[in-house]
Amino acid sequence: MNSVTPFIGTPDATASAKPATARVPTDWTTKAMQSRIRRRYAAERRFRLAGLAAVWLSAGFLAFLLSSMLWQGASGFVETRVALPIDFAAAALPIEPARLTSRGADLALASAGLEGAVDSAATRAFGKDGEGLLSDGAWVTVRDALKADPGLLSRKTVIAVPVASPVDMAAKGDGPPEAEAVVARLKARGVLTRGLSMTFLTTADSTDATRVGIWGAFKGSLLTMIVTLLLAFPIGVLSALYLEEYAPKNRWTDLIEVSINNLAAVPSIIFGLLGLAVFLGTFGMPRSAPLVGGLTLALMTMPVIVIAGRNAIKAVPPSIRDAALGIGASPVQVVFHHVLPLALPGILTGTIIGMARALGETAPLLMIGMRAFIAAPPSGLRDPATVLPVQIFLWSDQVSRGFIEKTSAAIIVLLVFLLAMNGVAIYLRNKFETRW
Amino acid sequence: MTGIDVQRFGAISGLAVTALAGATLIGGCVDQANGGGAGSRDQITAVGSSTVYPFTTMIAEQLVANDPDAKAPVIESTGTGAGMKLFCAGIGAGHPDIEDASRRMKASEYKDCAANGAGQILEIQVGIDGIAFAEAKNGPKMQLTPTDLYKALAASPGGRPNTARVWRDVNPALPPVPIQVYGPPATSGTRDALAELILTKGCEASDPAAKPLAKSDPDAHKALCTRVREDGMYVDAGENDNLIVQKLQSNPNAIGVFGYSYLEENKNDVNGVAISGVQPTYATIADNRYPGSRPLYIYVKKAHLSAIPGLRTFLKLYAANWSATGPLVKRGLIAAPPAVQARSAAIIANETILDPAVLS
Repeated sequence: MNSVTPFIGTPDATASAKPATARVPTDWTTKAMQSRIRRRYAAERRFRLAGLAAVWLSAGFLAFLLSSMLWQGASGFVETRVALPIDFAAAALPIEPARLTSRGADLALASAGLEGAVDSAATRAFGKDGEGLLSDGAWVTVRDALKADPGLLSRKTVIAVPVASPVDMAAKGDGPPEAEAVVARLKARGVLTRGLSMTFLTTADSTDATRVGIWGAFKGSLLTMIVTLLLAFPIGVLSALYLEEYAPKNRWTDLIEVSINNLAAVPSIIFGLLGLAVFLGTFGMPRSAPLVGGLTLALMTMPVIVIAGRNAIKAVPPSIRDAALGIGASPVQVVFHHVLPLALPGILTGTIIGMARALGETAPLLMIGMRAFIAAPPSGLRDPATVLPVQIFLWSDQVSRGFIEKTSAAIIVLLVFLLAMNGVAIYLRNKFETRW
Repeated sequence: MTGIDVQRFGAISGLAVTALAGATLIGGCVDQANGGGAGSRDQITAVGSSTVYPFTTMIAEQLVANDPDAKAPVIESTGTGAGMKLFCAGIGAGHPDIEDASRRMKASEYKDCAANGAGQILEIQVGIDGIAFAEAKNGPKMQLTPTDLYKALAASPGGRPNTARVWRDVNPALPPVPIQVYGPPATSGTRDALAELILTKGCEASDPAAKPLAKSDPDAHKALCTRVREDGMYVDAGENDNLIVQKLQSNPNAIGVFGYSYLEENKNDVNGVAISGVQPTYATIADNRYPGSRPLYIYVKKAHLSAIPGLRTFLKLYAANWSATGPLVKRGLIAAPPAVQARSAAIIANETILDPAVLS
């Protein structure tokens, strides 16, 4: 700093001290001046490099996070299957082929001992520990195959069924030694195949890593987000419009403004406690339901939308309002024809931030019971459900090691969901964006 | 400008109308929920211990796999204590049907239940669990006794504040390794089992005055025997037992406390610590030689048996799976002795309610 001051100050100072002498032009070639210039440029370079390093560092962290997630999680979308020869004619399941196409087929097959038949087929095909090779859900695959083709009941066939979790992990290169040996043996027989796990994409939580699915949590997140958006967006935008365009400036509106700013900064767990006390306690709403989750998250998201909305509305030039009023538009027409369309990009940015935060939120949802084990996807707003971040939390807590890759896979799904949601919002924002 | 604005107004009003319609729709739902929230429920709900959670979820999964028309049960892992609070808050659709417990219900908790109209409860022992002590594979191969653990972990062993910093301080035969124990929080049933099965035993063995105290002044007994030190030697690791396993792997001197099923699942990464010379294994816990073995229960409200579809089937499924060769044992449960299993099965069959006199 000190080195810079004389450079600017000296000529004036000398001028006032010695009014007789004319102002001497700066001699840029002196040694002192040259070193000052060098220092200036060096400071400039240092600042630029520090900024660049900060960008690279955060990009590096992001790249590390994404690549490690993809690296660990990609295998979560893949399942290992083993070709299981099964002779339904010999197993003689006590069931009519006609019943397989009726509604009670699942129950009929379960009670006909299909699970036992699959286990004994495995023992016959792969030796006495063959039963342990198959996933707990292997018989479900067989059941679905039977339902798709009831004619199988009287034939011998080969069905590719998912393998048990340790074997699956060994096939992917990270399993216990005994499972590695089993995989080597099966590979030698050429019965192992790999494929995209439809189970993971279409089912809900399970206790077995090979049977878990993300669809239940995905749908839970989707329902919760719909409730949050439908509540927080209109209420938030209307509040912002009223506060900005209609409300008188007095102590009450100041108080409201301060409260809204405070609400936006309240830790999310507090909203969870509020949801627990009000929605579950006072209103007696169902525990673990996306409806309650959405209501709770809407409370959390609303202040963010109000604040962003007010700023966006404030940024609309007053000349637009005056012009519209001047040609005879009513205040409501001014708001809906002119102010809101121009403010919408800003409001949507606030909504993106609020919704992204709500999508990743876990703490308030734990309080209202959205962290339960539920083996089926929710079918409505009042059905018990869980959401993606909570599902990730639950799986990371699981005993079985096969859940590690499933946790990473779930994180990938969450990120894709987030990107898709933001993508839509950014598209809408750009569509409405105006420059003047 | 006008052309664009009219177009834009269309889009905006469309948006606003959908949003408002949505809001009213939700409002409708809320009203409905207000009316019917406490009315009926057609899926089973269970809360409670994180130790029993893997077993209850497995049964829930079977229930759905066997009958896809059945609604999937909702199982929450809250810890035994917090679960009891939810369970005992009343009967009806708003309250859980099943409490998973890694210890027996306390008399005070039962009183709470009874006061809220949920006094008719079935108590079903589903199996046994051991609280296992474990260390990393490259750990110091500790050999502990309940007395050592009491002196190392109690807040005031023998009535004086605990000053032990290394294991040698509590027992000269132990290595001079710093005392670092990762365990469950105070609301956990596992923690209660640690207090009851290990600390109390060690307390009463090392201090002859402790035993009579339990009768004459239970609070003083509690403070002396089961209060765990809070100066950072015992680290509360939350209900996340996987976290404890990870901590052990990164810190070979630490000792972890968790349910036996976690030890079983992670035996490639951690070793069991022998207590009084007995290693925690399936056999030693099943025949009660290992001092840290405890029963696991589920509590079911009798009033809900007829009201909640599938609840009876759920209990029958539990009974069908808890045998020594059954699927629950593969998951890490330790089967109860045959006599206990027969008694529990009889409770399910006859719907015998719990006699509060047996609780303490």
